[in-house]
Amino acid sequence: MNEENKSGTININILFFAKSRELAKTSRAVFAVEPVVQAGQLLKQLVDRFDLSAISNCIILAHNENYIENLDEDIHLQQADEIAVIPPISGG
Amino acid sequence: MDYIKLVSNKIDIQQVHNLIVDDGCGACSMFVGTTRDTFEGKKVISLEYEAYENMALKEMSKICSELRTRWPILKHIAIYHRLGTVPVREESVVIATSSPHRAAALESVSFAIDELKSRVPIWKKEIYEEDPVGEWKENKECQWPQHSKSTLKAFDFSCCPIDQTMTSDNKLVQIRVNDSDLNRRVDCFLKRKRDEINLYNINDFKKQSSNDDADLTEEISCARTQSFLVKQQQSKGHLKVRRANNNSGPQMRPNYSLQLNKLMASQQRDNNQTENISLPSVRLKNIETYMGISSDDNNILNRIKELENRILLLESSSPEYKYLVSNKH
Repeated sequence: MNEENKSGTININILFFAKSRELAKTSRAVFAVEPVVQAGQLLKQLVDRFDLSAISNCIILAHNENYIENLDEDIHLQQADEIAVIPPISGG
Repeated sequence: MDYIKLVSNKIDIQQVHNLIVDDGCGACSMFVGTTRDTFEGKKVISLEYEAYENMALKEMSKICSELRTRWPILKHIAIYHRLGTVPVREESVVIATSSPHRAAALESVSFAIDELKSRVPIWKKEIYEEDPVGEWKENKECQWPQHSKSTLKAFDFSCCPIDQTMTSDNKLVQIRVNDSDLNRRVDCFLKRKRDEINLYNINDFKKQSSNDDADLTEEISCARTQSFLVKQQQSKGHLKVRRANNNSGPQMRPNYSLQLNKLMASQQRDNNQTENISLPSVRLKNIETYMGISSDDNNILNRIKELENRILLLESSSPEYKYLVSNKH
């Protein structure tokens, strides 16, 4: 905890599904991020970190199982929060 | 009652039907989505489904709430989705509703499958005979916001046609800039208007008022001068010219050198009286000096003739002087 406070970031869990899971080569990862971050910024960081540029313009994020509708809004993150990378869905 | 489930084995349609059937319901409606064997000419062997399971269950639950808001008479709702590998012909999704009358049951099932395809985080990958790696599918109902500039340009305007019958106030304008730029434009407009007003408030000339001095001082004005604007008839200039006839002041200062010269001349004249120079001769000499002629001729008539010639020359070169002199008479 002390080290986290020093760097000013917290650790959150990132979940990957479908195409994004294949590109990231993992279904979940721990990611250090600022506690308050603009959704679009977070998306960009994830795209850069996990090689998601192939689908970067058609993915959205979910924060603790709720879609983030607006990429311009700030999201307030807590330690161990869950961010899911959601490529276009194809259920049914 | 709402029945929501993600299952990894074959869905038992009869079992789902048994869940929703009810003594008070005259209608049970069921949609069954099954795996198709071809896609764009490619032979599909099977479909692989995966889900963000907790969130998928949440979203399916939200769909149930939505259905009950829209069709309050619905009795039971069941939404089952299969995950993992689903072979061709087998069920991947089953949605069933029951209600006293068929309209609600039929409509709600149709609505529910559209909603499920557009918001429940489930993905399928088609595995083809020629391509065992497969391809992730995208539902056309899935309206993820696109955030690249290229897709913004490719926006399909035909999907939201402009209603030409809409009337709007002619005074309204549409400005497509962000807030900061809008504020900057408003500030610039205000500043320009303020400068314009300030410019109009500066009067170079006061308005011509009555002769009453009291009025003049009471007038509120930012004028920089106390002058008046007077336009003269047939005049190109805007300013009235007044000729000043001053009887005193610096412009009336006597010509001291001229006075001194006169005094010196009279002194010389006094001294020359001993030389018996006649008075007419002295006066003639003074006139000659004044006219700028120096003559050594002793014949007085020749000297007068020379003065007359001088006057004629001056008159011919400055005729107005002649008229000025003649008008005095």
